[in-house]
Amino acid sequence: MALKLSDVRTDLFNDWCPGCGDFGIEASLQMALTELGIDINRVVLFSGIGCHGKIVHWTNTFGIHTLHGRTLAFAQGAKLANPELEVVALGGDGDGYGIGAGHFVHAGRRNIDMTYIVHNNGVYGLTKGQASPTQRLGEQTKSLPQPNINNGINPIILALSAGYTFIARSYAFNTRHLKETIKKAIAHKGLALVDVLQPCPTYNDIETKAWYDGEDRRDASGRAVPRVYDVNMKGHDPLVSKEMDEDQVDKKIQHVFRLSKEWGDQIPIGIFYQEIGTPTFEDRISARIPSYLQNPPAKQIPPGTTKSTVELEKLSSELTVQANNV
Amino acid sequence: MSEKDSDAEITLRLGAAAGDGIQSAGEMIMKVLSRSGMHVTTYNGNQSLIRGGHVWFHVHASTKKIYSLGYGIDFLIPLTQLSYDQHFEKLNQGGAVIYDPVAVKIHDLDPKVMQISVPLADIALKYDKRPIMKNTVALGSLCAAIGVDINVLSKAIQDQFGRKEPAVAENNIKAAMDGYEMVKKQTRPLKNIQYNYSVRRPAMTADYALALGAVAAGCRFYAAYPMSPASPIVHWMASHAKKLGITVFLGEDEISVMNATIGASYAGARAMCATSGGGFALMQEAIGEAAMTETPVVVVDVMRAGPSTGLPTKTSQGDLNMMLGISQDDFPRVILAPRNPEESFYTAPRAFNLAERYQVPVIILLDFAIGDGGYSTVDNLNFAFEIDRGKLLSTPPPAYTNGYWFKRFAITDDNISPRSIPGTPDMMFVAKTDEHDEWGHDLSDVLAGLKEYLPIRRRMHEKRMKKLEEIKKEMKLPEIYGPSGADISIITWGSSSNAVREALHELHKKGVSVNSFEFSDIYPMQEDEVRKILSTAGIMVDVEVNYSAQFAKLLKREAGVEINNFFLKYDGEPIYPEEVEKHILATRKEVHAIA
Ligand SMILES: Cc1ncc(C[n+]2csc(CCOP(=O)(O)OP(=O)(O)O)c2C)c(N)n1
Ligand code: SF4
Ligand SMILES: [Mg+2]
Repeated sequence: MALKLSDVRTDLFNDWCPGCGDFGIEASLQMALTELGIDINRVVLFSGIGCHGKIVHWTNTFGIHTLHGRTLAFAQGAKLANPELEVVALGGDGDGYGIGAGHFVHAGRRNIDMTYIVHNNGVYGLTKGQASPTQRLGEQTKSLPQPNINNGINPIILALSAGYTFIARSYAFNTRHLKETIKKAIAHKGLALVDVLQPCPTYNDIETKAWYDGEDRRDASGRAVPRVYDVNMKGHDPLVSKEMDEDQVDKKIQHVFRLSKEWGDQIPIGIFYQEIGTPTFEDRISARIPSYLQNPPAKQIPPGTTKSTVELEKLSSELTVQANNV
Repeated sequence: MSEKDSDAEITLRLGAAAGDGIQSAGEMIMKVLSRSGMHVTTYNGNQSLIRGGHVWFHVHASTKKIYSLGYGIDFLIPLTQLSYDQHFEKLNQGGAVIYDPVAVKIHDLDPKVMQISVPLADIALKYDKRPIMKNTVALGSLCAAIGVDINVLSKAIQDQFGRKEPAVAENNIKAAMDGYEMVKKQTRPLKNIQYNYSVRRPAMTADYALALGAVAAGCRFYAAYPMSPASPIVHWMASHAKKLGITVFLGEDEISVMNATIGASYAGARAMCATSGGGFALMQEAIGEAAMTETPVVVVDVMRAGPSTGLPTKTSQGDLNMMLGISQDDFPRVILAPRNPEESFYTAPRAFNLAERYQVPVIILLDFAIGDGGYSTVDNLNFAFEIDRGKLLSTPPPAYTNGYWFKRFAITDDNISPRSIPGTPDMMFVAKTDEHDEWGHDLSDVLAGLKEYLPIRRRMHEKRMKKLEEIKKEMKLPEIYGPSGADISIITWGSSSNAVREALHELHKKGVSVNSFEFSDIYPMQEDEVRKILSTAGIMVDVEVNYSAQFAKLLKREAGVEINNFFLKYDGEPIYPEEVEKHILATRKEVHAIA
């Protein structure tokens, strides 16, 4: 039976501010799940603490609203315990790139097959608009008494250097693009980052929907000229495969680097980088424990088990008091 | 010899610089003794360095069951002058020091201690360009002095080096033999022990025993970040991962370790992690998360002396207060403190069953002394554990579903809600670290503080806390040793019990009226029962390894039992029975003086 959008959407009261970009992310994610037709019993959403985190309540899948910044750590444990789960982790930019930055980096080293969507709004939304780690130096969003004194980080490059094998950016109000990007991220075998430019109308009065959409820039016919453009439509091919030589890979990385720094008049969205064929963590475990995928930790002691299942006595003769054989 | 039975007991100590292989030599002699039917307990006097400094290895062995490190030193083998200087004063009369006169100058030695001079380095140089085999020579010498069959040592050497070139084992065996012959020429065995070569006893640390017990109990996800003295657990798990199908997750920090462990448990695995105090401090927020989301989890703290980085290779029982006060606000937790490796083994399955039955975090407190720093021989271990996954269900009871969502946090008569794991059809739910209602839905946002929702918050909080009442009933009361109605009662917990129990024997021989109450289940406490039991106690003396008598304070807080006499040790070393004995004798004197 094909999934309908209504199957994955709950009827709980949604308390995001009107016009919040999170609505676009929620809708795109739900559409992506619907269109992919995944068994929703297998889907688990993990979120952190922040406005973004509430998304797990509005979506009809298994979910857990974890601690601030710890989403990836929690989700990785769950996925490794049961690799059959379709894991989608959701974080805020404060959550994922600030307090959870360590987990963000180290998740890249493992390349566990899961998707991480970051609601990048430039502010700590839920705590009333302080500058988040992505806010640029010198910017002054609404609730800052002084311009931001820190540099903003570049999530694309951070992810690239950490080893993410799928790195994309999308825009909360381009739901078609975001939905397609999420679908590709979920389909990607390995760790996928989708950094989503997310207007926060309440606290970020700089990177607003109107700004992203270029309402302040009109062409001759009076139409807004959006700042956001699709790099893949403009010919950027994100694929990096094992067949490419070092030079080709270097060139691609340099290009990704350059693209990731574009900001202001031109803001690229799309898939920046996708590495094919890098073993996932699950592959690496399977290479050591061949039964891992069939019999992962979560399945070894099924509900209802009443007796210990390993015979450790056989592990070593040194474990039992026994007659010597000097 | 010590006042203890010289025909049944040995204490010995090897001392050297780190990098001299003293740990493996110590383990070798431990093996020799445990394979000769002896009960053995050891302690590793480690330092936090890789080379140099001073390290030692203490062994206590007996034909009878023993618990602690024994009395004094019967045999000292100092490979360096510092090792002699540090330890010679502890030598028992009738004992011996086995030494190489080139490395060690004997001074101020009790004339009743025998000096056995062996050219350890010279002998070692016969078999290698560098004198690295000198500790093997020393072990051979020791075997002659304690009268144990040298073949047991040869076999242990063969086992140790079996995987290397044959010459390595052969040369070591020859070196050991030379040492053995050299001492044999100088003296008859100083011990007259009936070794039983037909019995071989397994020896293990509490860390190792815990790893075994956990895996036997179904633990298949183990996470860690390296930290002494908890590291042996991850080493064991990693080296058995393949054979036993354990997923080992080496997190980037203890925060990730704890969260990943809870994640794995949420997904349905029996999951555990371990660390020491500093790492545990980083885990605290997440332990609250486990409690709030009612996700079972087992976490081990192998205590080292602190605060802060403290003494990484030294021991303490100073983390109890942290365990009682983990993270913010009230939530249920269980704290278990096994006293020795054997109990550590059996604590693991209990911890998992308690965690799953009550959907709470269970903390196991070990310490350096028994966890990483000391082996003990154990009796035959029984691996046939009962596994109880509690209310983990695969189909929803009708009352707990509304057609698509499962009432995961339902309020029930026993305050424990049915649980499901992701992937289970018709049992979908959202868990939440914010306060939530029975469905897991948010109470912290638009509903927080509304008068209709205040009772719900109260009930959810109470439901979690009231689990403690049920858990209490499963907590073991203290084990009592010695006569009831004794004048003096020692109150102790965890690994400190070992020295206390051994001191008790000696005190009884001296006619002291003393008994002991050993606690291994720490929290929640059956306060009424504990109060009742302790009402039979004599003058209570609290023995523990921390500055502020943390357990005594817990007893006061929970059971209203007040203790005014303490033996508290916090220099990083474990308690030795003679220290307890001395304190109790002094206490008796005071009591008599008053009376
Ligand atoms: C350990 C911890 N520190 C601080 C907080 C307070 N806090 C709640 S949400 C939040 C920031 C959220 O910002 P972000 O992650 O960007 O999410 P957004 O609200 O913007 O979606 C903070 C700091 C917390 N919950 N936990
Ligand atoms: S504060 Fe910003 S991010 Fe949060 S709900 Fe409101 S608009 Fe959205
Ligand atoms: Mg934010």
